[in-house]
Amino acid sequence: MSRDSAYIYDDVPNQMGEYQYENQRSGQQYEMSDMASKGDGKVGLTRRKTWAAHNGADLETARLLENLPSRQLENLTNTLGRDTVRLNHRRLKSFHGPFQHGDGEETSTEIANMVTNDPDFDDRTEDEIHTLLKGMTTTLSSKRAIRRKVSSKRKRQLGWFTRVKYNIGMSWQHFKYSIAEVMYSLELWKSHLKLIEGHFGTGVTSYFLFLKWLFLINIPVFLLTLGFVVLPQVLYRWYENVPTGYQQTNTSKSFTGAELLDGRGWFENTELYYGFYTNETIQITSGYKYHMRYAYLFTCGGYYLLCLIILATSILRSYRKYYIEGSGDFNYYFKVFNGWDYGITSQEAARLKHKSLYSELVEYLAGFKAPKDKSLTAKCQIFWLRVLTNVTVLALLASSGYLIYYISITMETKDIAWLDVFAMPLCITAINLLLPLVFHGLEQLEDYSKPKTELYVHMVRTMTLKAVTLCVLVNFWYGRSSRRMCWETFMGQEIYRLVIVDFIFTLLITFLFEFVRKIMAKYCVKRLSLPEFNIGRNTLDLIYSQTLCWLGTFYCPLLSCIVLIKLIIIFYVKRVSVLQNCKPSLRPWRAARSHTIFLAFLFCFFLLSTVAVACGIIFVLPSEECGPYKGQNQTYEIVTELIDDWREDEPWLTYIIDFISSPGCIAAIVILLGMGTYYIRLVMIGHKEMVILLEQQLALEGKDKNFLLQILQNVNKQNRKKDKKTPDRPFASPSDDVESITSPGGRKFIRQVAEASARGGHGQM
Amino acid sequence: MGGSHSAFTEQELDDYQTLTYLTKKEILHVYKRFYTLDPEKVNLDKNVKLAMDDIQKLPELKVNPFKDRICKVFSSSGDGEMTFEDFLDMMSVFSDQAPKNVKVEYAFRIYDFDEDDMISGSDLKEVVDRLTGEQNLSEEDMQQLIDNIFMEADLDDDEFLSFAEFEHVISKAPDFINSFRIRL
Repeated sequence: MSRDSAYIYDDVPNQMGEYQYENQRSGQQYEMSDMASKGDGKVGLTRRKTWAAHNGADLETARLLENLPSRQLENLTNTLGRDTVRLNHRRLKSFHGPFQHGDGEETSTEIANMVTNDPDFDDRTEDEIHTLLKGMTTTLSSKRAIRRKVSSKRKRQLGWFTRVKYNIGMSWQHFKYSIAEVMYSLELWKSHLKLIEGHFGTGVTSYFLFLKWLFLINIPVFLLTLGFVVLPQVLYRWYENVPTGYQQTNTSKSFTGAELLDGRGWFENTELYYGFYTNETIQITSGYKYHMRYAYLFTCGGYYLLCLIILATSILRSYRKYYIEGSGDFNYYFKVFNGWDYGITSQEAARLKHKSLYSELVEYLAGFKAPKDKSLTAKCQIFWLRVLTNVTVLALLASSGYLIYYISITMETKDIAWLDVFAMPLCITAINLLLPLVFHGLEQLEDYSKPKTELYVHMVRTMTLKAVTLCVLVNFWYGRSSRRMCWETFMGQEIYRLVIVDFIFTLLITFLFEFVRKIMAKYCVKRLSLPEFNIGRNTLDLIYSQTLCWLGTFYCPLLSCIVLIKLIIIFYVKRVSVLQNCKPSLRPWRAARSHTIFLAFLFCFFLLSTVAVACGIIFVLPSEECGPYKGQNQTYEIVTELIDDWREDEPWLTYIIDFISSPGCIAAIVILLGMGTYYIRLVMIGHKEMVILLEQQLALEGKDKNFLLQILQNVNKQNRKKDKKTPDRPFASPSDDVESITSPGGRKFIRQVAEASARGGHGQM
Repeated sequence: MGGSHSAFTEQELDDYQTLTYLTKKEILHVYKRFYTLDPEKVNLDKNVKLAMDDIQKLPELKVNPFKDRICKVFSSSGDGEMTFEDFLDMMSVFSDQAPKNVKVEYAFRIYDFDEDDMISGSDLKEVVDRLTGEQNLSEEDMQQLIDNIFMEADLDDDEFLSFAEFEHVISKAPDFINSFRIRL
């Protein structure tokens, strides 16, 4: 079957209802190959006709089929789909179809003509032309030919203004290329990710990508604190040789090494903690002053805002990608056409992938065949069981919260040697490690029909646990703030210890669960299989560690640096461990969907920690002896003072601020936002209904088409009976069996006709 | 190595950059990968046409159940043999930067085994058979699966998936763009 032709979907509206080939019908001989070479506007013949022609079916029927409204609809969706992708108000003609073997001069000329004859052609920037070229699915050499032709035409037609535009476009293009070049060389951990993807597919890679993403969002946070808080403080200490007023009583402690673990001692008198920062105004040069207090608070606000923006945009993007664009129920379809991971390189992974796909399909088909219809008693049983397990979970959550509170209280009031500073972080980490195992056991009892639901329930419970423990802690810290000399530093230390203990436990778990288990599986207990990499648990751990970072950055400005180091080490440890110890999982992991969920968790935890820090800034009395806000009633006071200052200077500002902060204005804003949300929701519901209607209409179109085809068939049959003398009639084949005509699809119908004509009237084709 | 820098003139690299989704560095990297497939032949002539077996030495293709289709689709001569430009084309389509619609187009061609620009039941069967590898679905299960897929995606009820139908559904698969990718 040779396909020397270019088929181009032309603008559908022009094509709609128009018989393009009306004039062409003179000759019965119609060869596909010369269609491409003639090509004066007749290229629009679509593929269905090709098929019909190649299979000897009658062209007339094929043409008719092609011009059926439902076929046009198909073309239309195609074009529309492309246009939305291009995000361009000007429509770029879309090219679909195999130019593949039509490598010749003719084809490329034709396509080049198509491009240049477009009325919008002159307005197009070079960029757009290149995008169009790149998007063509043809070979490189023909693309090059098309490009040459197009650009030669362009240059001839260009006026002065367009030439300038063209040059600017070119420079912009070059700029973009060089940026891409730089980005490519800067891309982090590229080869590692490739290796992991080669061995484990996209699922495990998604964990590492998430880690990398967290690493990247911590960099700006770190740079902000470094640039605006830490460096000024260092410079201040350097210039003012006698640092007074900000050191605590227990001065001169030397570095011993143990501080790295517990974060006390020497560290207390460094820039690591809140307490060390000065409340003074630093004179940079005469006339320029650096207010440390403002810098500290506003930098903090800045990085929370930055994180909020980054998180919100990525969660929106991910949500749109997965839930809005990806809506619809296409389970089987996705499993088949989206089944293979093209990045896999290892034989073992490929074998497991085959196996996993097979079992997944069989499982799904079994579920389809026997829809589970549980009896009422079974349903009741499960309902009560789930109530019971949820109560148990709640009880566990409450008791772990109380345990942490109890330990913190005991640690404070009694001086017990073994309850050292590590008691609390160890306890929390142990709870975070053990309780999820208990939850897992409970979920086994609950008997969820879908593994997906079980996974989500598990994740929600685990994350609630983490949230509860952190809330108890923060509450405790704030409640007892007045009893300590410098509670902010103390809080910073506590969070530092949590981060460190969490880090050590992550390493330990990797070692025990992955390395030791592999050794056991290999050499001791042969029954034990190699461990699988638990993407869910590991990602939740990352989210927890990031939450600690957000919670602590205000009290321990350099925490983001520590988290950066931690993430780097975890990346390499996990990378080595996963490649050395783990085997690819048989359970499929839907990376895009779970990514959205992880982002949602991360966002919730971000909000929680922001609220916690904001409460501390607004409501809790800062310590008297240390930190940038000593002697003030609340940290937030400096902002109100600043605004008051402004009011004196610029009276008009007063009106604005008063207006904005007036209850009426705030109420109006809230109402407006509410109305906006409601409106958008209504529009969304409307769209959903529209989609359902359109789908129904589409189904009806299909039925219409079948109906009409049957009528056509009948008419032809009657004609044939009446008029047996005209042998070159398209449907003049004697052997149609009636059953085949009533087949559900037009394609089958053509096939029947094709076979029939092949049998009977092949002579005239 | 065969001196990958000297292999192309600046003009050629510029051209490749304009016509593919790759940057110059990536193009040189692609060349390196092409070179390792058969160093001797490529050394003699960088525009050499490598046989399908050679191309399939690429680790990603080696284990890919659709390797012969991929080679055929991207080969400019249509027989699975590939020149460097074809190879570059392939890597460009499989790269991160290639937009979804281009990837969908090539995915459609790969899965269209009989090359009639429609994915029929037999194409689907072939896809599933290759995906499951050594294990095979029973006849009944296979029929059920194919029916289900048509039920989900065959909008005009003709027992074929046209490109538009294929694209309509696959563009809703959020994982598609990640799984239809070969990292450089």
